[in-house]
Amino acid sequence: MSSILKIRKQELDQLVAALVARYRLFGPVDLDGTTVLREVRSADELRLGAALDEPAKTVFFPQTETLLHYDGDKVEAPAGRDKPTAILGIRPCDAKSLVLLDRVFRTGTHQDSFWQRRHEDSLVVGLGCSLPLETCFCNWMNLGPFNADGSDVMLTDIGDAYIAESCTDKGERFLKAAYKSQVQRPSDADLDKAGAVRGRARAALKPPVDVPAVKKALAGLWDSPLWDELTLECLSCAACAYLCPTCHCFDIQDEKVPGTSRGRRIRIWDTCMAALFTKEASGHNPRGSGKERMRQRIMHKFSYFVDNFGEAACVGCGRCIRMCPVSLDVRRVLERVRDEGAAKDQKSAKGVASAV
Amino acid sequence: MKAGGSEQELREAARKLLKDKKVGVVVGYARGTGELRSTPAFIRHGKDADRLIFDRTCGISLVPHLRKALKALPKGAKAAVVAKGCDGRALVQYMAEGQLKRDDVVIVGVACDGVLDPRKSDVLSDSCLRCRYPNPPVYDVFVAEPKAVGAGDEYAAVTEFEKLGPEERWGWFQTQFAKCIRCYACRNACPMCYCEECFVDQTNPLWFGKSAEQPDTAMFHIVRALHTAGRCVDCGACERACPLGVRLGLLNKRIEKEIKERFGYTAGLDPEATPALATYDEEDKQEFIL
Amino acid sequence: MNEWQPKILAFLCNWCSYAGADLAGVSRIQYPPNVRVVRVPCSGRVNPIFILKSLENGFDGVLVSGCHPGDCHYISGNYIARRKFAVLKAALEFMGVEPGRVQFSWVSAGEGEKFAQVIGQVTDTVKGLGPAKRLVKTAEAPGVAG
Repeated sequence: MSSILKIRKQELDQLVAALVARYRLFGPVDLDGTTVLREVRSADELRLGAALDEPAKTVFFPQTETLLHYDGDKVEAPAGRDKPTAILGIRPCDAKSLVLLDRVFRTGTHQDSFWQRRHEDSLVVGLGCSLPLETCFCNWMNLGPFNADGSDVMLTDIGDAYIAESCTDKGERFLKAAYKSQVQRPSDADLDKAGAVRGRARAALKPPVDVPAVKKALAGLWDSPLWDELTLECLSCAACAYLCPTCHCFDIQDEKVPGTSRGRRIRIWDTCMAALFTKEASGHNPRGSGKERMRQRIMHKFSYFVDNFGEAACVGCGRCIRMCPVSLDVRRVLERVRDEGAAKDQKSAKGVASAV
Repeated sequence: MKAGGSEQELREAARKLLKDKKVGVVVGYARGTGELRSTPAFIRHGKDADRLIFDRTCGISLVPHLRKALKALPKGAKAAVVAKGCDGRALVQYMAEGQLKRDDVVIVGVACDGVLDPRKSDVLSDSCLRCRYPNPPVYDVFVAEPKAVGAGDEYAAVTEFEKLGPEERWGWFQTQFAKCIRCYACRNACPMCYCEECFVDQTNPLWFGKSAEQPDTAMFHIVRALHTAGRCVDCGACERACPLGVRLGLLNKRIEKEIKERFGYTAGLDPEATPALATYDEEDKQEFIL
Repeated sequence: MNEWQPKILAFLCNWCSYAGADLAGVSRIQYPPNVRVVRVPCSGRVNPIFILKSLENGFDGVLVSGCHPGDCHYISGNYIARRKFAVLKAALEFMGVEPGRVQFSWVSAGEGEKFAQVIGQVTDTVKGLGPAKRLVKTAEAPGVAG
């Protein structure tokens, strides 16, 4: 039983209030020209519709997280959450990323308690993407501008209002509790508008590349000179990895307050794109060159992650493309891999044919 | 390509250099993703020279890529690099710092009208608005008409900022640092950051924390600004590389002003000069010393 | 007295300023007890990172003191230091760190009185500025989103 409501933009306060009453609410806000996710209490803090610069993972897997405090022998875990977390206004790509990250942080046998305590019982009110950017490629990853995977409620922007639809039981329960009987039904015209918005958005995306074919091709391209070519531009910074909604590598460090017996253990983001990532105590570095690191990035996301978790570690949000300082485009990389793979297949097919 | 000269000339120059076997590779700009981005290009064959462009999207400093290209070449082989004014100064500063021999590189100079701020797409980068060196000071080939130097005070933003009180200034920097996620795109894009081991990656001792909190992030930016003091050519590649719009260039500009006024040194103009912080003058002002 | 007392770290060059501090002590010249001393071979040894680290660790003021220009035991260490310190001071003050938190002096081995006077002056200045807040780090530092 799925509810559909119309929420006028000037009445967004009601939605926000309902969320704030039950959750610690995060939404997109402006930080000196950059759109980031921060805790909000009222609708006027929100900057819905602007492209979110930071990925949604910052809410559940922040760049810096204190794992514990210590004072001598006394160890203190960080305080628990008094309320579960809700996010309002992330797009389907970001919402899906949280589903993928959940598979990493909560496997059948192991639960990352820090992810768990932030993510548990959380609610996502997604905002469908009316205007995909030139760099968006979510449709390559079996997603779309209004895909509901990872959202409990999906909003469609029809101009002066949002059409809100529940996508999960949790979302349904929330809408029922938030709006009770004061539901504004969208008119047929409203629903038509919503349909048109979605249609236009889907049509704006370019035809996808066969990503499973890319995975197949990767298996045979380990030694390909392709990687040398592709990686000359790369600066080996962490922009792509940190802005990526599905990248999840981290480092753990201990910090002491000098002159005291107090300190803390923190977890911070790390990136396989940095040379230091694989540097060993002996000094040996199995991925000492940019080429090896780029190859690893692509293989992890589009091959190993598929083997381990069933889907590629990519949601096609395009942040890595938009924000890479040297405009290295992962789509071109995937196309090259696919083409190289196809060329190899051609060659070996010819070889078989001529041998017969 | 503005300021006189055409992309055709640039491509011709590249083709000629490769044909005459003067260089093993030409490092230049090619079209990136979309109309408003460029990407580094490593042209090894004349037929690929048509990829080369030069326009307002060419905001990357190619100097880090030149370094990579030179390392990958066999000993004795040279590389050519397309250099706008600021990048040309960075190359001169490399020569002053012993990082590059003049003979190892063929500098293909271009005059620059300024490059775009990648986050705003119709606005020039801050460093370009105050640029005083649109033409590279040293070059082998120049494929354009030299551009006239801009007028006005290149330190105007610095002076304006100093009108604010210390609380406000600190608050502004805290806002910038709050956006920073420690991705080091700025550092890796900077031509002057060529240390094999960066202070921020040292663990013995661990100078400053790697968290995105304060004061760790402030320390990274302050120390990087100090390490590039008297070396920074205000190319703006750092700010343009930042994925989250941290406006970290203002501190560098203030330091540049100090070094210019106190020591009369401007980075990247004289390949024979000794960098300001590697030398001294007995008569240096010391009004701040008790 | 529970009145807050500033903590000041002084980097003193071995040949001049440290000796000058010794002389002050031997001569029983009084100066405020707020200063802790780190002896360095030369003021030029002082990496600006040390000064920033001191502020991070909770010092309210930092002083670096070396030989007078022309008298450096290593000939030019203090000249190089002079340039570095000018740049560091300009950078910190530009960012809003209070002028007076980080200071520099020339004190020779024979200037016991001057040493005491400099310490007194720096301590007074820092006392007036209050506890340092700008670049201090604690294990409970406020975090970012989440």
